[in-house]
Amino acid sequence: MLVYLRKRILSSALPLVAVIVGVFALARLTGNPANLYLPLNATDQMRADFTARHGLDQPLLTQMADYFGGVLRLDFGESLRTGESAAAMALRAFPATLQLAATTMVLAVILAVIVGCWAALKPNGIADRISSFVSMAAASIPDFWLAIVGIWIFAITLGWLPTSGVGGASAWVLPIATLLLRPFGVLVQIVRGAMVSALSEPYIKLARSKGAGDVRVVTHHALRNAAAPALTVAGDLTVGLVNGAVVVETIFGWPGIGKLMIDSILQRDFAVLQAAVLLTAIAIFVLNILIDLGYALLDARVRPATVKA
Amino acid sequence: MSSSPSIKRQLRLQIPVVVAGSALLLSGCSVANSENAAGATAGAASDTLRVVLQQEPPTLEACEANLTSTGVVVRSNVTQPLIERNPTTGELEPLLATEWEATSDTEWTLKLRDDVKFQDGTDFNAEAAAYTIDRAVNSDLGCNVEGYVFGDTDLEVEAVDATTLKVTTPEPDPILPLRLSFLEVVPTSTSDTEKVREPIGTGPYKIEQWDAGQKITLSTWDGYWGDAPAFPKAEYQWRGEGTVRAAMVTSGEADIAMGLGPDDGAGDLGVNYPNNETIGLRLSGDTAPLDDIRVRQAINYAIDKEGIVASLYQNKDKVAAQLIPEGVVGHNASLEAWPFDLEKAKALVAEAKADGVPVDTKITLVARNAQFPKVTELSQVLQEQLAQAGLNVELKMTETSQHLQYQIRPFVEDQGPIALLIQHGNQAGDAAFTVEQYMLSDGAQSSFGTEEFDKRLLEAGKSSGDDRQQAYEDIFTYQNENVVQFATIAHQTGILGKSAAINYTPNSSSGDELRLTEMTPAS
Repeated sequence: MLVYLRKRILSSALPLVAVIVGVFALARLTGNPANLYLPLNATDQMRADFTARHGLDQPLLTQMADYFGGVLRLDFGESLRTGESAAAMALRAFPATLQLAATTMVLAVILAVIVGCWAALKPNGIADRISSFVSMAAASIPDFWLAIVGIWIFAITLGWLPTSGVGGASAWVLPIATLLLRPFGVLVQIVRGAMVSALSEPYIKLARSKGAGDVRVVTHHALRNAAAPALTVAGDLTVGLVNGAVVVETIFGWPGIGKLMIDSILQRDFAVLQAAVLLTAIAIFVLNILIDLGYALLDARVRPATVKA
Repeated sequence: MSSSPSIKRQLRLQIPVVVAGSALLLSGCSVANSENAAGATAGAASDTLRVVLQQEPPTLEACEANLTSTGVVVRSNVTQPLIERNPTTGELEPLLATEWEATSDTEWTLKLRDDVKFQDGTDFNAEAAAYTIDRAVNSDLGCNVEGYVFGDTDLEVEAVDATTLKVTTPEPDPILPLRLSFLEVVPTSTSDTEKVREPIGTGPYKIEQWDAGQKITLSTWDGYWGDAPAFPKAEYQWRGEGTVRAAMVTSGEADIAMGLGPDDGAGDLGVNYPNNETIGLRLSGDTAPLDDIRVRQAINYAIDKEGIVASLYQNKDKVAAQLIPEGVVGHNASLEAWPFDLEKAKALVAEAKADGVPVDTKITLVARNAQFPKVTELSQVLQEQLAQAGLNVELKMTETSQHLQYQIRPFVEDQGPIALLIQHGNQAGDAAFTVEQYMLSDGAQSSFGTEEFDKRLLEAGKSSGDDRQQAYEDIFTYQNENVVQFATIAHQTGILGKSAAINYTPNSSSGDELRLTEMTPAS
């Protein structure tokens, strides 16, 4: 297992470095932030001073060497916008995204397992058809539209929930509901498919012949075998949530890493962008390792095959 | 891995439990504990004024108060200038300075109040005023106010005594008091080698707390020299979506929402105000076919400004004949906007074509996403209308950083003729701030000009009083008749969402300086 883990870590670390180098280079190709930060009628001298003050007049390779030198000393630079430490800004934003993503995924998994199992009990029955329609729709509705409609119905028309912001439990409802639908829709289909095939296995028939009811068959026999594919997909969906909460965070004013990243891109705030990308990449890297471990724990067949590979 | 089946089963059961448990634990900490939002916003405390902005201020540094999001929080609330400009009358009024006069061509003397303290308890005096000017205008801090208001000019400042300040300019500057109205005064304890994130000022409010990413809270300061404001606290939040900002006011979560568009849904709670912004096309008059004045005139005739204002802006904007609206010194009230005359436009293009002007050359119409409400629709309408006149126009929507490469020198090269959709705001209230950057042939935002015109522009800048007004009026007429670098479209109207619980009348400066002292609870 340790060998497997080490191989997995090494093979994932390379893309991590590639991502950091790529973001660094691409950010600088977008132009000098002096134009954004200085007034439109700033003098040439003011622009030159700004560029030199932030080391942007150096060759790209020098800048990159400086950056990596800083990273080794855990110095990730300062925000052009706020002058704050980029690492502090990224670390402050990250938990907000993680809380949102984790809560969303736990709820999505629970709901998807319930609905997916219910649908799988009678393939092509009424429950199956309804859940199939709902899950397909849920997986394909755009976040942006859903968020605005949610605000319009629940915050403005009914007045039940706040439009946006962070705070008490009610502030979590709309962002989570918006984020939840897609993973829920995808997972219902995975769980349903896996359950349908698990329920047709001989050992289920055996269990039924011994008098086990639907609930017992599902929870004690079939679900165990259906869990592995669902876990893998749930892991990928979590990665997607951490990475892609931009729209939801922006609309609902949720101070997470997605919003920080998009603000940093628009503001050419290189150090913050790099810190945010690095932190997200590390989180995704760790998540992927955890998913692999979880998968290996659930399904013994995976381990030797992966180790050999 | 050699765990027994029973251990495996336990693990399988534990994984979801651990994940669920951690998520619940996580959801109970940091973000959730930052109070407010749902609970507090639903039952708004009447002693707190809640404002929602378009974006979080990057800093509250006083010398960056020209940035919209910074100024709207800081100016006149936390910090104050020596002199302030009345946004309605355009007159300069005393604030920390009680009077001022030109004591020679290049020297101004100001008398200051003697009863004012900074929020750190230190005295406001001429030394602090001199320090503020020196720090913002003469230092290497790269302050926004320096670039916007003072440019290359350094000022000599002298604190004659505690309440007398002398400011000397290298050249005669008749609008120095107006320029000084942009400087927010800070105490001498403020660093002059680094910008500070939170300033100390002389204003009615001090910064209580800044929860980065979430909100800024101000509270009244007991030692304020003027009348105490009606609201003991003010709270700023920010949301990028206009519909969400409007919804916060209609649902009672905010009292004021800034920067709304006509379709954001504020309904009756949306209040219109003139925001001193003008939209139009800036034409690169040195590139064919835009180097031919007939083509530039044709563009002006081809744009149906009345139609645009009626269909896209619900008749709230006003058709524009020049780059500055009424109320700004130098506005020429007698100048008429170019009438919409498609036949004339076509004829001018045909005439130019007959003379060998390459009118078929592709002109790029460059606009910026989300710069102002309906900018995409407007850009498409403009493209269509210029095409109707016989021109070959391609639309290019850009984001801010790209747009700036077209907007300010050095411009992007080898892009052919450009019609840049601009939104120009003159919050300073004097034409000098417009014409010097947009019309001088080497102006930072000018893409055309003539030597003769440059001379007139520079002369106008040195004049004062009625002469100044007349000089700039003539300049706008001359621009329209002889230069035609611009096809101005409309003077815009700002929309601010205001809850019925608040009394407040926005004015032309509200978008940049939201004076909390002017707000009272509606009873």
